[in-house]
Amino acid sequence: MIDVKDLVVSYGTATALEHVTLTVGRGELVALLGPNGAGKSTLANTLAGLLTPASGTVSIGGRLALIPEGRQLFPDLTVADNLALGGWRSGQRDPSPVYDLLPRLAELAGRRAGVLSGGEQQMVAFGRAMMSRPEVLVVDELSLGLAPNVTADLAAHLAELNRSQGLTVLLIEQNARLAFELCRRAYVLESGRVVTEGDSAELAGDPRVASAYLGGAIT
Amino acid sequence: MSAFLTYLLNGLAVGCAIALIASGLVVIHRVTGVVNFAQGTFAVVAGLCMSSLLGMGLPHGLSEVAAVLVAALAGLLTGLAAIGRRGTTALSALIITLGVGVLAYAVEIVLWGDQPRSAPGLAGSVIVAGARIQTQHLLVIGVTAATFVLLALFFGRTYLGKALTACASNPYAARVVGIDTRLMGLLAFALGGLLGGLAGVLVTPLRPISFDTDVTLIVNGFAAAVFGALTRPVITLAGALLLGVAETMAAGYGYGSHQLEIALGLMIVVMIVQAGRRPAVTQEST
Amino acid sequence: MIRLVAGLLVAAVTLALPAVLDDSALAVYILLGLAAMVTVGVSLLMGYAGQVSLGQGAFYAIGAYTAALLALGGVPPVAGLVAAPVVAAASALVIGVPLLRLRGHHLAFATLAMQLILLSLAGQLEFTGGDIGLQAIPQFSVGSFEAGSASAYAYLTWAGVALVMLVTHNVIASRPGRALRALATSETAAASSGIPVGRYKLVVFALSAAFAGLAGGIYCFYTGYVAPGSFPVLISIQYIVMAVVGGLGTIWGAVVGATAITLLVQGLNSLAALPGMPSYAPSVLSYAVYALVLIGVVLFLPHGLLPAVAGRLSRKRESLRAR
Ligand SMILES: Nc1ncnc2c1ncn2[C@@H]1O[C@H](COP(=O)(O)OP(=O)(O)OP(=O)(O)O)[C@@H](O)[C@H]1O
Ligand SMILES: [Mg+2]
Repeated sequence: MIDVKDLVVSYGTATALEHVTLTVGRGELVALLGPNGAGKSTLANTLAGLLTPASGTVSIGGRLALIPEGRQLFPDLTVADNLALGGWRSGQRDPSPVYDLLPRLAELAGRRAGVLSGGEQQMVAFGRAMMSRPEVLVVDELSLGLAPNVTADLAAHLAELNRSQGLTVLLIEQNARLAFELCRRAYVLESGRVVTEGDSAELAGDPRVASAYLGGAIT
Repeated sequence: MSAFLTYLLNGLAVGCAIALIASGLVVIHRVTGVVNFAQGTFAVVAGLCMSSLLGMGLPHGLSEVAAVLVAALAGLLTGLAAIGRRGTTALSALIITLGVGVLAYAVEIVLWGDQPRSAPGLAGSVIVAGARIQTQHLLVIGVTAATFVLLALFFGRTYLGKALTACASNPYAARVVGIDTRLMGLLAFALGGLLGGLAGVLVTPLRPISFDTDVTLIVNGFAAAVFGALTRPVITLAGALLLGVAETMAAGYGYGSHQLEIALGLMIVVMIVQAGRRPAVTQEST
Repeated sequence: MIRLVAGLLVAAVTLALPAVLDDSALAVYILLGLAAMVTVGVSLLMGYAGQVSLGQGAFYAIGAYTAALLALGGVPPVAGLVAAPVVAAASALVIGVPLLRLRGHHLAFATLAMQLILLSLAGQLEFTGGDIGLQAIPQFSVGSFEAGSASAYAYLTWAGVALVMLVTHNVIASRPGRALRALATSETAAASSGIPVGRYKLVVFALSAAFAGLAGGIYCFYTGYVAPGSFPVLISIQYIVMAVVGGLGTIWGAVVGATAITLLVQGLNSLAALPGMPSYAPSVLSYAVYALVLIGVVLFLPHGLLPAVAGRLSRKRESLRAR
C-alpha cells in the first residue's frame, strides 16, 4: 500500500531523509519510531504529497489521509466545518458518517475548533482525516500531549477501523509501548536513516531499542 | 443641521468606496498573506474602462459590469505575478504588486492618456430629512451594503468560501486536506480585483479618476483595513466609514486641503496602537 | 588582489569622468551618484533590517529642504550640507521609534504615508514656499571656494557616495552588523538570541535616512531650487527598484543597480525624444521599465543582478581552474 524506495528529501541544503526504504502492506498496521528530528514528520508530509522528494520513489496504492503532527485544525472554523473541509478531496461534505464513528464530535459540531481541549482537537483531526474515506492513514504522533486514556481510546478506534474496514495505518509515535502494542511491525528512524526494522516483539526485546524508547516510558 | 446631514451621507458614500477597496485588501491578505499594493489600480482600471465603454455608446449596466470584470481579470493577473511562482515571500509579493501598479500606469497612459476622466452615473438628487443627497451617493451606499452582505454569506455559508477561510486560518492544514492554496490565492486576487473594480465604477461618476488616483485610493483603503488588522471585514467597514465621514466633514468645514493628512495620520496612529498591543514577535505568525 | 585592482580602476574612472563629460552627461552622472547614495541606504535597510521603506524620498526631501532653508537663511552652505543628513536622521529617529514597531507591509505603508504627508505639508506651508518651493539657493561653497561648475558638483557627489559606502562597509563589518544579518532572516530568532532588534533596526533606519538626507542636500545646491514636485512617490519606488536590481544588502550592488537603472532610463528617454514619438512616451517608457525590471528581478533574480553575475563568474572561474 505504501512503497518507499531510496527516498531522499531535503530542505534547501539540509537533508532530512537519506535513502529511506519502507513498505506497508494493505491492511497492515506499522509503527515508525524515532527520536526528535529523525525525519518522521518529513516522511509523513512526503507521503501526503506536501513535500517533493529530491530522489527516490514513493508509491501509494490508495487514497491517503494524514493526521498531521500537532492536529493542525482550522481554529477559526467550527468542528462541523473542519470535518466538511476534510472531505475536500473525496467530495463528501456531510460529516454524519464520522459522527457515527465518533459520536462525541456530533456534540461538539457547533464549537470553534480553536477552543477545544487537546484530546477533542485530536479527535477532530482524526474525524477530518476519515472524511476523505481513506484507505491508508498516516498518523503523526497520535499520543502527543494527550492523557493516556484519551490516547488509548483513539488507538482503539484505529485498531477497530483496521479490523473492520481493512484500513492501512502508518503510526508515527514517540510512545514505543503504545506503538508495539498496536502494530505488529515497526521501523526505527534516526538522523534520516532507517536503522532498525522488524517485528514489534523482537524490537521490544532489543536492548538498544528498549533503552532508547521503553526505558523512560510510563504506562 | 441639514448641512451636517449632507456631509454625513456624502461621507458615508466616500467611506463605502474606501470600504470596497479595503475589503479587497482584506480578502487577499487573509488568504495569501500578501498586502496588495495594486488594489487601488483595480478601481482606476475599472473607472477608466467604464468611461470608455459608456463613451462608445454601450448602455449603463453592461458597461459597469464589463468594467468590473476587467478589474477582476486585472486582479487575477496581479495574483499570477505575485504568488504564481513558488517560494515568493509575502514581502517580495508586496514589491511585485507595487511593480504591477507602476506597470498599470504605463498601460493606462497609453490607453487613456494622463488626464482625469469622468463618467455619468445616476443623475439627480433626493431630499432626506431636509438634506439634499445625490442619487449616486445613495447608489454607492446601497451597492456597498449589498456587497458586504454577499461577502459575509459567501465566506460564512458556502463551501468554497469556507475553503478560502481555511487557507487564511491554517494554510498548512489546508494543504493537508488537499486544498490547492495557490489556486485559492488566485481566486482571492480575482475577488479583490472585482471589489476594487466595484469601487472604481461607483466612484468615477462622483470624482474624476486618473491613472495616479490609485495612490490615494490604496492609502485610504489600507488605512481602513488596518483598523481591522487586515483580517476583519466588519471592523474594516467601520474604519472606512469613519475615515470617509471624517474626511468629508473636514472638507465640508473648510479643512479640505488637509484631508489626506487626516486619513494618513489616523492610519499611522491606529497601526502604532495596534502594534503596541501585541508584541512584534506574535505578529509574525498572523 | 583582483578586487583591489578592480576597486582602484573604478575609483580612477570615477575621478576621471567629470573631466571628460559634457554638461548634460555630467547632470546624469550627478543624479546617478545621488541615487546611488540613497540606494545604498535602502539596500542596507532592506537587506539587513528586512524592512521596506516606500518613503525614502521623504528623507531626500527633508535633506534638500533643510539645506535650502539654512542656505537661504544665510548659514554657510557647508553647515547646511552637514545639517541635511543630521536632520533627516533625527526625523527618522523620531518617526522610527513608533513606526518601527510595525513590520513589513505596515512599515512600507507608514513610510509611504509619511512621504505623502510631508509633500502635502511642504506644498501648503508658507516657509517651504508652497507648491512653488524654494528658489535662488546659493551655490555650494567651502570658505572662499565656490562650486560653480557641474564638475565640482560631480566631485562633491561622488565624494558623498564614497563616504556613504565607507560608512556602510564599516557598519556591515562590525559585530552589530553581523547580528543584523540574522535580523533580516528571522526577527524572532534574532530577538530570542538576545540581539536588541529594535535598536538595531532604528539605527539602520536612521542611517539610511542620513544617506538620503545627504543626497538631498547636495541636490538642492546643484539644482538651486527645491519643490514638492521634485520628490514624487515614484522616486521612492525608483530607489527600491535600484536596490533590488543590484542585490539587497550589497554595497556595490546598490551602486550597480543605480547605474544600470539610471542609464537604462536615460537611454529610453533619448529614444522617447526621437521625432514621431507620442508626447507621453518618456513617462510611459520609464514606468514600464521600472515595473518590468522590478517584477522581473524579484521573480527571477531574487538576489539581484550583481550577486547573480558574480556567482556565475566565480563558477566559471572554478570550472576553469578544475580543468
Ligand atoms: N521546514 C523545515 N525547514 C528546514 N528544516 C526542517 C524543516 N522541517 C524540518 N526540518 C529539519 O528536518 C529534520 C527532520 O525534521 P522532522 O520534523 O521530520 O523530525 P521528526 O522526526 O518529526 O521530529 P519530532 O519528533 O520532533 O517531530 C530536522 O533536523 C529538522 O530541523
Ligand atoms: Mg515530527
